[in-house]
Amino acid sequence: MNTIDPRIHQALDGELASQAVPAELRRTVAQLAAAADLLAALPPGPAASLESRVMAAIRRPAPSPARRVIRWLVTPRAIVLRVRPAWSVAFAAAVAALTLFTAGDEGPELAEHEGIAQFVGRFPEAQSVHAVGTFNDWRPGSIALKDQDHDGVWRATVVLPAGTYEYMFVVDGERWVPDHLAERLVADDFGRENSIVIVRPARR
Amino acid sequence: MTRWVVLAWAAFLAVPLAAQSVRGRLEGRIPSAAIPAVDSLIQFASQEGLPTEPLIQKALEGGAKHATGPRIVAAVQVSLGQLRDARDVLVRAGDQPPVLPAEMTTVAWALRRGLPAPVVERVVAALARPPRAAAMHAVADLVAHRFDPDSAAGLIIEAVRDGVPRERLLDVSAAVLQQVQRGHTRAEALASVRRELPNLPAPSKPTRGNVAGARRPAPPTPP
Repeated sequence: MNTIDPRIHQALDGELASQAVPAELRRTVAQLAAAADLLAALPPGPAASLESRVMAAIRRPAPSPARRVIRWLVTPRAIVLRVRPAWSVAFAAAVAALTLFTAGDEGPELAEHEGIAQFVGRFPEAQSVHAVGTFNDWRPGSIALKDQDHDGVWRATVVLPAGTYEYMFVVDGERWVPDHLAERLVADDFGRENSIVIVRPARR
Repeated sequence: MTRWVVLAWAAFLAVPLAAQSVRGRLEGRIPSAAIPAVDSLIQFASQEGLPTEPLIQKALEGGAKHATGPRIVAAVQVSLGQLRDARDVLVRAGDQPPVLPAEMTTVAWALRRGLPAPVVERVVAALARPPRAAAMHAVADLVAHRFDPDSAAGLIIEAVRDGVPRERLLDVSAAVLQQVQRGHTRAEALASVRRELPNLPAPSKPTRGNVAGARRPAPPTPP
């Protein structure tokens, strides 16, 4: 192992004047001093830069909760869903059944010129009640009122083209009765009174 | 020239075809002995430019109510007279002939509902262009509730002049009747609604439940 002459150490540390260094060591001292100067003059190296970047990241303020939530929401994540095939078939069947059985409850799609007419009459002893008038060529049978809760009040809600109509109720297929709840009545020229319903367009 | 010949032939053929379709609608629905008389009344109406559907409906109504043939013919004759009166009212009020069939039907309704002819003329003259059905029914609704016909017509005409849309005129009469139900006198009710014009309470629209439960009428069963 090579050892450095202690006088070189002393010369480099400034403890020994350069004139006092023996002539055979002066060249070595000069080369080492030049190398030391070169190292001292180098710009900050990669180690310093890495340290500063790490420290900057540590000092950066923490993101707000909202930002963290947004970042969580937009970050893609893998979701693993384990479903038995039998359950997926059952789910699909339930959706199909719901779609089929609730489709009728939405009611008919109304056109621009159509409206809703409601017929209500109290006929406690009746077996059947029909609304008959100019909306169905005075032909019984097309608009049947129903008494679903058996309280004697018969009802029907129908879609008709907007307009003015005359009508009567036909009870049990033979008794012609005006709608006593209708606010508009007009003589029918056959000795009775017709009720009048004005159907207004539903889409106004 | 050729076009006129085609049109003349079309008219020549259309009249018997229309008559045939009218007879088709009446057959089996009214006593057969009444059909020729009813049919000829409908032909008169057609030739005079009057709407024929109200006459057909009147005959069908009579048949459905088991009226006798002569009674049905008489009722159709009365309806024909009402349509002629309606046309005359419209012409007197300023409508240029040929008068629109829908307007004749509207005015015939108004006269049947008890509106005096001068009041109808006043409304027609004030509402220069059709449709006037909502205005007529609004006035008739008020008159049916014992409002003075002139005051009722005055309110509806004022509502139109104040910018109330035609389709909302029934809401004007409804608002007045609501005031009466709340205990106001007729004069107070008219004045109160007049003050608020053109603002009106929101019209009652069919609820979601009503629409959901609504059904189109079933096709008519054969007699």
